[in-house]
Amino acid sequence: MTREGLRVAIAEDSAILRDGLVQLLVDRGFVITGAVADPDALCSSVAQNPPDVAVIDIRMPPTFTDEGLRLALDLRARCEGMGILLFSQYIETRYAADLLADDAAGIGYLLKDRVADVKDFVEALERVAIGGTALDPEVVTQLLGATRRTDSLSSLTPREREVLSLMAEGRSNAAIAAALVVSEGAVEKHVANIFAKLDLPVSDKDHRRVLAVLRFLDS
Amino acid sequence: MVEQAESSEVRVRLGGREMSLAITHEQAAAAKALARRIAREPFTRRAWHELAFSLVSGGLAAVALGFVGVTMATGVLLAVTFFGVAILALSLRSARGFGGWTRGLARSLLGETVDDPEPFAARRGFLGWLQSALRDRVAWRAVGYLVLKVPWAVLAGLVGFAFWWDAAVCIAHPFFGGGSVPAFGLPRALVPGGTFDGDGTFTHAVALVIAGFVFLLAAPWLVRAFVSVDRLLVRSLLGPDPVAARLHTLEHARTQTVDASAATLRRIERDLHDGTQAQLVALAMRLGMAKEKLEDPEHADLAQVRALVDEAHRGAKEAIVELRDIARGIHPPALDIGLEGALATLAARSAVPTTVTVDLPARPTPSIEAIAYYCVAELLANVAQHAQASRASVSCAQQGTWLRLVVRDDGRGGAELSTLGSSSSGLVGLTERVRTVDGRLYLTSPTGGPTVVTVDLPLSA
Repeated sequence: MTREGLRVAIAEDSAILRDGLVQLLVDRGFVITGAVADPDALCSSVAQNPPDVAVIDIRMPPTFTDEGLRLALDLRARCEGMGILLFSQYIETRYAADLLADDAAGIGYLLKDRVADVKDFVEALERVAIGGTALDPEVVTQLLGATRRTDSLSSLTPREREVLSLMAEGRSNAAIAAALVVSEGAVEKHVANIFAKLDLPVSDKDHRRVLAVLRFLDS
Repeated sequence: MVEQAESSEVRVRLGGREMSLAITHEQAAAAKALARRIAREPFTRRAWHELAFSLVSGGLAAVALGFVGVTMATGVLLAVTFFGVAILALSLRSARGFGGWTRGLARSLLGETVDDPEPFAARRGFLGWLQSALRDRVAWRAVGYLVLKVPWAVLAGLVGFAFWWDAAVCIAHPFFGGGSVPAFGLPRALVPGGTFDGDGTFTHAVALVIAGFVFLLAAPWLVRAFVSVDRLLVRSLLGPDPVAARLHTLEHARTQTVDASAATLRRIERDLHDGTQAQLVALAMRLGMAKEKLEDPEHADLAQVRALVDEAHRGAKEAIVELRDIARGIHPPALDIGLEGALATLAARSAVPTTVTVDLPARPTPSIEAIAYYCVAELLANVAQHAQASRASVSCAQQGTWLRLVVRDDGRGGAELSTLGSSSSGLVGLTERVRTVDGRLYLTSPTGGPTVVTVDLPLSA
């Protein structure tokens, strides 16, 4: 499913990780439009050479707090159609909420650890680049754990809960089917059941579906 | 008899025995100065201020005690009703107010700088206010002051003020045609009949005026004696509550310690985040790539896989070194063998040649050892980074109950507390850390050097 030639910009202040990411993505046939260490540098890189997706570390100079998040929100407003993958050593559910405030299209939020599973990471990056969503399983777990709608969730079967988690991460029915080793038809049936049980609006686009699920979990 | 020599000799016959007193010039001069002082004392500003304080504070205390006494009694009588409790609380609040006025008087008239006690802190709601007012230690101490002060003020009036008054009466007496004037206060017991009588004769008038001057000379000293007790009362009962002050100091110290440990934790987290964690993520990523490539052994490019594994291997070793450094930052293992060995290790690692002398008869407590160690580590790092020094020295010695650390370098000098703290854990942070154990840090660094930083730490904390 690798799409050759997707253009990626990277903002990551740790040189080791930045170089590693470049090496990994070039090896997988991506084109690196810029690999920089701070928000300002990424802004000018994006302006000169717009990528399909930007990989952004959340903690960057100068204050090492949430520079990356603010940069992401800024880029989202300015560069329509560009995917943004936030990349962090911690998961802050609130950051995810800020990021997904109005749309989940072309947004990703992953733990840095996920690069260890190269295939999953690359898939997530591609999904974000073409307007999909990629949320870290950790975000979904936190939302599932924190939600006050436990009554509705308890009506789901264990299998349906698995499907719900994968759906919230932003995966398509085909990807869910592959992950759970079942047929796509079976996944479709589960999804329909989930939507009915949780009283969610049915939608065809994957990223709208993610948003609906997140709204439900977060309410 | 009088010789112009080193000393004057005075011969006195006493009961058939002749005694001689030798008085040196210095003694004579001192006696003269004393006499002058005594003669001038009634006309000094200080004497009048003390008299004014004695009178005004006494009057104020009498009024205050009257008011507080009556309101408190009313409050206690009505205590069964809610109203009584409220009156009691108001009474205490007013006692606090009177205390404040007296403190102001002492400040302006006696120059007695007593710090204000902690301001009244009411809890939320009317009931909270009542409770706080009734338990206000400052107010209760002010009541105690009033109870002690009023009898003391009466005594001060009968003795101190009386001497001023009678002095004025005696001196003015002959000019107003004489007659019988009653003496006031203590002098009443001293003069026959308790009155100053004038029969109009010149000798009598002179005698009265002389008596008046005697009273006048004694008056300021008597008032001063009373006021000195007043000072003590004001300081001990109207100043900050010693219990509260101690609590405040402890709270302050605790906040600082908590802040210091929070800063340390933040630094460790930053080190882990920027260093080790990134290192391990990159390592896992390379191993992940290698694994993927090996999944299809037929087409695997072994040279590429080997390069990835090589990088991962190197990354793992670097991560180990970083972790060790971070752990050493949390607790330096070198400290286990004592400060001397730890400092020697630091000196050996320093980029600038450094000599260490340690002279400690006994080991300080672990926390002091750790702070001393970090001070030297930080200061030597500063020397290496900023000083352009060719050599440095560290000395560590006991001085009484203190441990004195001196770090000296022959660099370019010009260091300041603010500029040296350029890194997040610089000299300013060091000063804070030293202060948490009531230690002190001094810096002398003239332009051109040398720079000497002295750190004093208590031996046990």
